[in-house]
Amino acid sequence: MDTAQALPLQTRKGLKLDKYRVYLLLIPASLVAILPFVWMIFGSFKTGSEIRQIPPTFFPKEFTLQNYANILTDKELPLGLFYRNSAIIALANVVQVLFTSSLYGYLFAKFNFRGKNAIFWFILATMMIPHQVTMIPGYLILARLGLLNKLWGLIIPAAIDAFGIFLFRQFSLSIPNELLDAARVDGASEFRVYRSIILYQLGPALATFGMLTFMFNWNAYLWPLIVLTEQNVRTLPIILTWYSNQHTQQLHLTMAASVMVILPVLFVFIFAQRWIVKGITLTGLK
Amino acid sequence: MSRSKLEMATQTLRTAQGIAGLFFRLRHGRDSAQKQFIFSAVTPLVLYMGFFTLFPMLWGLALAFFEYSARRSGGPVLGLGGDNPFVGLQNFGDMLNFAPDAPLNVRQFHISIRTTLLFAFLILPLNLAITLPLAVSIESAHDRLKGFFRMFFFLPVLAPSVGVAIMWSYVYHPQRGLLNGILTSLNGKLVGINWTGDQSLIFLGVPIALIAVIIAYLWQDLGYNLVIFIAALQSIPESIKDAARMDGVSGWQMFRYISLPLLKPTILLTSVLTMISSFQVFDIIQVMTEGGPNDQTRVLLLDIYNNAFRFQRMGWASAVSVVLFLMVFSISLVQTRLLRTEWEY
Repeated sequence: MDTAQALPLQTRKGLKLDKYRVYLLLIPASLVAILPFVWMIFGSFKTGSEIRQIPPTFFPKEFTLQNYANILTDKELPLGLFYRNSAIIALANVVQVLFTSSLYGYLFAKFNFRGKNAIFWFILATMMIPHQVTMIPGYLILARLGLLNKLWGLIIPAAIDAFGIFLFRQFSLSIPNELLDAARVDGASEFRVYRSIILYQLGPALATFGMLTFMFNWNAYLWPLIVLTEQNVRTLPIILTWYSNQHTQQLHLTMAASVMVILPVLFVFIFAQRWIVKGITLTGLK
Repeated sequence: MSRSKLEMATQTLRTAQGIAGLFFRLRHGRDSAQKQFIFSAVTPLVLYMGFFTLFPMLWGLALAFFEYSARRSGGPVLGLGGDNPFVGLQNFGDMLNFAPDAPLNVRQFHISIRTTLLFAFLILPLNLAITLPLAVSIESAHDRLKGFFRMFFFLPVLAPSVGVAIMWSYVYHPQRGLLNGILTSLNGKLVGINWTGDQSLIFLGVPIALIAVIIAYLWQDLGYNLVIFIAALQSIPESIKDAARMDGVSGWQMFRYISLPLLKPTILLTSVLTMISSFQVFDIIQVMTEGGPNDQTRVLLLDIYNNAFRFQRMGWASAVSVVLFLMVFSISLVQTRLLRTEWEY
């Protein structure tokens, strides 16, 4: 009787202690993790003479917004244009990848046709081949199509995402056939069934996968670096490295430029973070 | 009353029409409508994937057997042959030339393979050693703080890796960097270590420059495995934990004997994914060190990029791509085997 009463109390106490002990790890770890970021933000508010000081200061002695003003008025760096390039590519790819992934995922889940298994196995097999392995022929194809240094060059070859098709096939399998037949009874065309029922049923998964696709495209570096070699078509990540290589002795300016490239979209991603995390834990996608 | 009757009547009529229509189409047109839908959707898919997926794969494989540069016009078919001669297995044969006087590109290939493997095999244990305890700690924090900490450590995943690389180069900057600044204030004397550019700095056989990029890579990459582990921890049934608690186990015992065994399948899977993605590292290294100093951080993808797009040795670069593919593919096979194993608890 005694032990039975004592046990829950003891466990609760033990748990509570554990609960506070974890902060001994979490809080220092957080501080270390955020330090590089804070360093960059502080640096972007320092004056040019302060950034050249050796040893460096941590807090800006004299807080200035001049670096940001310089970046925004720099004619060599029309940030608006590069934001636009990045946005066009990322949004176009999200739209087309969501369309093809859901359509073909549904097709492979709910229809039978000749060669279906062969095509599906081929799609699965391509998932094992990293993109980088085909980047040389990919570049040569774009060169022959005249798509180098065109935003289309990053959109046209990116319409099919093997993983997306695989993912939405899995989701489509769980949609009941009765639902589809009911729509057909009501006289819906096959495309209408896809548009009104499948897209609706896949909605949450589409939102999650769309966020991931946007993020990958927005942050992509190697492939755009190869395809876009002219300044006015480049995307933000390429411009950022170009700019910091041009101004290696003016860290206060490159720091401000980095903040302006990273922060606005990171802010958007923070709101979408729940979906992205859900997408990653659901798919193990990397 | 009459209105609902009217509605019922039209509803019945519509349903009847629909069923009649379905029967009609089932007998006459339904099959062909479906066939048409399938045909009009699958044809573009096959053509598209044939051109943008299968064709580049075969072309890339073919290039590995040529000495090819896009600058030379070459033969009539895809510029192969002519000035871009067929060399058979020579590219692959060269890879096995371990003589000290082997051509530079061959020696650089060997360095790249070694660096890539070193990179991946250092990343994996370090990643797990940080993410597992971190995931357990976050999972046992107070409910309100859980979400905050998870988001906090996950944020770097969302940032462009180029931005992360530039940010870390401010930390490692020899004169104006944060790291030397901290060391200077601890030391009292000026510290000016060139963390990413001094080839003589080596720690336990690993170049410091490589360790520097590994830290930056880990900083960005941790969030992936972290959220996967947190999700896996949350899926462990409360009843098992309660039973253990009734037996009075400590926090460490709970982790060692309950959570860890149950996380095993997740750990194996994330290990494979971490391995595959670290074989393909490029962004952070290209921005921070460009493979230097003295090729100490040269990885395979950087080797491929430099050969193909800076020195126009596309045949050789394609052969290196085939090697990279085989490395990733063999790890992927392990992954599919793991996925096929059934786990239950």
